[in-house]
Amino acid sequence: MTNQLFRHRRVRRFGVRAALMVFALGVLGATPVDAGGTLRVAMSASDVPLPNGQTDQGAEGMRFMGYSLFEALVGYDLSSRDKPVTLIPGLATGWSVDADDRTRWTFKLRSGVKFHDGSLFTAAAVVWNLDKILNKDAAQYDTKQAGQGRGRVPTIASYKAIDDSTVEIVTTKPDALFPYQIAWIVMSSPAQWEKSGKSWDNFIKNPSGTGPWKLSTYTPRERAELVPNNAYWDANRIPKLDKMVLLPVPDPSARVAALRSGQVDWIEAPPPDALPSLKDAGFVISSNVYPHVWPWHFSRVEGSPWNDIRVRKAANLAIDRAGMKSLLGGLMLEAQGQVPPSSDWFGNPTFKVRYDVAEAKRLMKEAGYSKDNPLQVKAIISPAGSGQMQPMVMNELIQQNLAEIGIKVDFDVRDWNALLANWRAGAKDATTEGAHSTNSSYFSQDPFTALMRHLDSRLIAPKGTNWGYYQDPELDKLVDGIRGEFDPAKQVKVIQKLHERYVDNALFLFVAHDVGPRAMSPKVKGFVQAQNWFQDLTPVSIEGE
Amino acid sequence: MFEYLAKRLLYAVPICITVSALCFSLVYLAPGDPLSAVLPADASQEIIDDVKAQYGLDKPVYVQYALWLGRAVTGDLGTSIGSGRPVAEEIGQAIVNSLILAAFASVVGFTIGSALGMIAGYHSGSTTDKMVSAIAISGVSVPHYWLGIVLVVIFSVKLNWLPAMGAGAGGSQAWQWDWEHMRFMILPAITLAAIPTGIITRSVRALVADTLSKEFVTALRAKGLTERTIFVHVVKNSAPTALSVVGVQLGYLMAGSILVETVFSWPGTGLLLNTAIFQRDIPLLQGTILVLALFFVGLNLLVDALQPLLDPRISRS
Amino acid sequence: MIVMTDERHGPVVEVPPAAASHGYWRGVFSRLAKDKTAIGCTVILTAIVLAAVFAPLIAPSDPSVGSVLKRLKPVGEPGFLLGSDELGRDMLTRLLYGGRMSLITGIVPVALALIIGGGLGTLAGYMGGWINSIVMRTTDVIFAFPSVLMAVAISGALGAGLENMLLALTIVLIPPIVRISESVTTQVRSLDFVEAARASGAGSLTIIRAHVLGNILGPIFVYSTSLLSVSIILASGLSFIGLGAKPPTPEWGLMLNALRTAIYSQPIIAALPGVMIFIVSLSFNLLSDSLRSAMDVQR
Repeated sequence: MTNQLFRHRRVRRFGVRAALMVFALGVLGATPVDAGGTLRVAMSASDVPLPNGQTDQGAEGMRFMGYSLFEALVGYDLSSRDKPVTLIPGLATGWSVDADDRTRWTFKLRSGVKFHDGSLFTAAAVVWNLDKILNKDAAQYDTKQAGQGRGRVPTIASYKAIDDSTVEIVTTKPDALFPYQIAWIVMSSPAQWEKSGKSWDNFIKNPSGTGPWKLSTYTPRERAELVPNNAYWDANRIPKLDKMVLLPVPDPSARVAALRSGQVDWIEAPPPDALPSLKDAGFVISSNVYPHVWPWHFSRVEGSPWNDIRVRKAANLAIDRAGMKSLLGGLMLEAQGQVPPSSDWFGNPTFKVRYDVAEAKRLMKEAGYSKDNPLQVKAIISPAGSGQMQPMVMNELIQQNLAEIGIKVDFDVRDWNALLANWRAGAKDATTEGAHSTNSSYFSQDPFTALMRHLDSRLIAPKGTNWGYYQDPELDKLVDGIRGEFDPAKQVKVIQKLHERYVDNALFLFVAHDVGPRAMSPKVKGFVQAQNWFQDLTPVSIEGE
Repeated sequence: MFEYLAKRLLYAVPICITVSALCFSLVYLAPGDPLSAVLPADASQEIIDDVKAQYGLDKPVYVQYALWLGRAVTGDLGTSIGSGRPVAEEIGQAIVNSLILAAFASVVGFTIGSALGMIAGYHSGSTTDKMVSAIAISGVSVPHYWLGIVLVVIFSVKLNWLPAMGAGAGGSQAWQWDWEHMRFMILPAITLAAIPTGIITRSVRALVADTLSKEFVTALRAKGLTERTIFVHVVKNSAPTALSVVGVQLGYLMAGSILVETVFSWPGTGLLLNTAIFQRDIPLLQGTILVLALFFVGLNLLVDALQPLLDPRISRS
Repeated sequence: MIVMTDERHGPVVEVPPAAASHGYWRGVFSRLAKDKTAIGCTVILTAIVLAAVFAPLIAPSDPSVGSVLKRLKPVGEPGFLLGSDELGRDMLTRLLYGGRMSLITGIVPVALALIIGGGLGTLAGYMGGWINSIVMRTTDVIFAFPSVLMAVAISGALGAGLENMLLALTIVLIPPIVRISESVTTQVRSLDFVEAARASGAGSLTIIRAHVLGNILGPIFVYSTSLLSVSIILASGLSFIGLGAKPPTPEWGLMLNALRTAIYSQPIIAALPGVMIFIVSLSFNLLSDSLRSAMDVQR
């Protein structure tokens, strides 16, 4: 009986597809479409991101695999180079918060969306996917995806399907930033999981989402091949390419060699010293500003030299950011705060972060230090890492700059993951080993990841990323103000106040913003680098194929 | 003969057990949280504990070792923390790739090394001998990862003759022994072969020179035997040692390819090991080191077993 | 990668005849003095050792100070005889200081392994019996790991850093030295004059000091010199993959890695650290060869 049903359905699907093909052929005959071609991308990740849904390999995994195969209720508008990226409807066509009870969110779902396996996307699928990461008793609960996804939605209290196309999610407290959080949670196909013997290990061999790309082959540690999902609900975003190959190449020099020898068409994060030769050889360098910050996070525990505001300000004035920019081949933005000056959130701080050695030296002298009587600090840094830009050279330049004004820096170089582990554990953890700062950089899409979580006294590590044990009741109030303000215009004002507090008190060593550099063959056409960590690869095509 | 082999095998058992204990304890020397690689930076303690329990990292070390050894014997090396796949599966694929590369590099090393060693041995003391010796000693003195980088710059980037990385345009799954695929391993194999070529050249040279200076060769010559027959004698005398050197070099190449595989992104055990170290992927690190060390022990055993067959002079005590 | 030894069974060495006599050593030196390669290598190594020792006096600038505005200057640029590195530091200075690290990573592990391994091996060879069994079987186990794998595993587990790397290298180098010391001592022990001393009731220590040491030190020492280059290459390799020295330490392997991406813009500068590693390692190997033939140690 089941067999018969299956056969029947398959026949029907085949019929539909045949009809579509005929239609497509007709269209093709009438108007020539861009030739597709195969795009081969060398990612900086050390492994192919898991195609399970909430991918691993950091946010780069979400960039190439997560948001290609899958989608969230809320999406990002990645269509423009020129304007900051905003949230747009994804699998939900709209959302709203209850005016009386601001913990109650309603999401209206897009109708007629199908997973790659042909099953229908419904409210039940949303509940199923939230169970996948939040409900340990659910059969589909996946520790791996929970590890990646649960931390993104810390405030979800409950959720249910109201009807087939409406989902209600209740948060533990009013949180105006909830749409940013739910944008991280992508939807895998429940039907495909059932078909895979209810096993995520089998699911990844033949994954199914609603995204514009489908997975055609997956070889762990080596490659993944993605092909267009021609049944994608947004006809404008059906990929132009015939195929996209993702290759993990963590070594930057190997990426350059691969691009130059024609083995790949696109590399992530080309090393700055290779840029001139890449340009000379005719390759195209693409970059754009995006919300990201590369700071030194100060320890504020008792005895930390960074407790003195004069020292913090002096350090901020001692960094030759223009020199650093040239060091990186121009591929960075000089930081003047935790967010770029062009951001809506920058505000109008009174302390101007700039390169002013004389003033820095004066402040250091006031604090009792000089080049001959230097202040000793110990800094945790990493040799590489996702979003860390070129940490070694950048930090060595900082070391040189700070030595100039009487701050002697001793580095504690740790693997990127070890640095993150300590960042989570906090400055008082034994693994800090007496260090006074750490150097974790991050994508800062929303006010929470950019500003709120680092200095909120209630998010002191290991509860949050307030690594330095900073405590300021005024700042906490501003954080609460942002969460409780549902009017976007008013919310921005509070965020600005928070940022002004950051800069005026020189709470971090503000160094640089990444510009997401990537190098590609001139054959790659149609790429629009949005001001974001995530990018849309659907408009890309390869010329001449 | 049988007794000899049985003894060697028996002798390998305690070595294997100690090797496994060493592998297991090695990774506990280090501080740092092995789970940081798989969790997002701001994961809560609750999530961390959950995942820890799932990987069995919350139990005492000796319990972990007992459990690990018990499973390892049955071929279950646990689950990679980084990728979530069974470690045995990961290594199974990688070791095939490494073996392909190491075998090819061994053939290269053996061919070039034997030829050069033969030439030098025959002309012992001459300028040719000195030149060959210089090449051989350069082979063992060069930092081979650096040689690899230089080769990539010349042959991949400047000349565009050979690929710079990877194991074939379609990945190792689509590997075939044809030119289209073998081009990919030429540069890594040459890089990897630098050291064994040097070692084999030196060994063969010494053997050949030694054999030629032996009295029986002089006697044979005096009897009027052709150079061809003498050559056969020389080969017979040097082949067993040369082959055993190659056999053991294969093991060294497998284990020592971490640098070369990293430079060329060759998806073998070396690259796997590098990933495991930097992601602090404990099960993967343990498993890879264990398998490589056992492979090395096994290879030694095999060479020991085969050598008496090739060379009857070696006693089997 | 323990080069120039029988890879499987460790070094095989025969004791030279009457090694302890004075005439023997005179012969060794006169043979060395006639060996052009040995002289050449000695000159090169002496120069590098002196340069490393007196680096602070002869280096044109400070190895950790540079200006990014003057980064990656070509060879011969005024003020930068051998160009500048990725942070605008003087390459000549860093290469000179880097020699210190390479010599340390070459000599220290070998010396430590020589003391520990030589001691253990001599003990095992002289005492025989269960002591021999314990020492040799333990050595077998460590020897079951290929050296690179062992070094990478230990350094990888302990984390990056000079001390950890030296420790890893020492552990890797001990087993082959134990094996050679044991085999040489066993040979010497059975020599007639040692047997005679024993029969006359001399104490173990006296016998070792008076008769054994003089005969075994030479071969063990010669063998150890061949490990210097192994140690240097391994160490630079560990630093290259980030398991060895930490920045801003001038270390050739680390410099090689840091300059890798500059290979297209300044190929000569990027190649310099590799050339230095090659020269030093080659010199050690050649000198070790010369020493071996001069001392007439058969393999």
